[in-house]
Amino acid sequence: MGACSDATLAAMPVLRPDDEATARELLASLERPVELLVALGPEATPIPGGSDIDFAAETARIAEGVAELSEHVSCRVEQEPAGFPRFPAISIRPEGRDAGVRYDGLPWGYELGALIGGVLEAGQRESTLRPDSLAALDALDRDLAVDVFVTPT
Amino acid sequence: MLLAYRCALASPRVTATAIEASEFPQLAKEMEVWAVPRIVVNGVPQSDGAVPERAFLARLLASTSG
Repeated sequence: MGACSDATLAAMPVLRPDDEATARELLASLERPVELLVALGPEATPIPGGSDIDFAAETARIAEGVAELSEHVSCRVEQEPAGFPRFPAISIRPEGRDAGVRYDGLPWGYELGALIGGVLEAGQRESTLRPDSLAALDALDRDLAVDVFVTPT
Repeated sequence: MLLAYRCALASPRVTATAIEASEFPQLAKEMEVWAVPRIVVNGVPQSDGAVPERAFLARLLASTSG
């Protein structure tokens, strides 16, 4: 993605019309409310070509755009909430509860799918994992912090 | 990514964070991110690439025994 000004980004829809219709349909299946907590604060050094982008504002805009797709999804923005090592970040919260599900950075491009996928998972009351996977997780005797590094393309 | 999210939602002992590598280049460098998705568990790089659920769980559980 080339450099793009804030004004250009602000005028762009979060999703293309076809994708928006699909996302609305998927999000209609949510069984419980999901809150997106957008955490803003001091950011890492901007990436090359990204100096014109307001990552904080764009992250908030995307989260708010996803929330607008479903009455079951809400969004709020906080400045430097406790417990966030990096900014911007989005905490995906089933029924407003911090379940340890986050997206750190701006979920643009392909990674918008990861954010919406996280919302869909958080909105289900029953896990979609296999029974043996759930049994293995139940047997865990220590905490696991799983970080998955991704890129938008 | 969704498998990690599912694990976090299913267990209070698991947290799952997607990290946009190009936006946090220093951390990506420290975690030796040369390909994505790069899985890091408790700060220790584990593997690259998307894997099926069984293999993903096996890698997570293996990381607990180290």
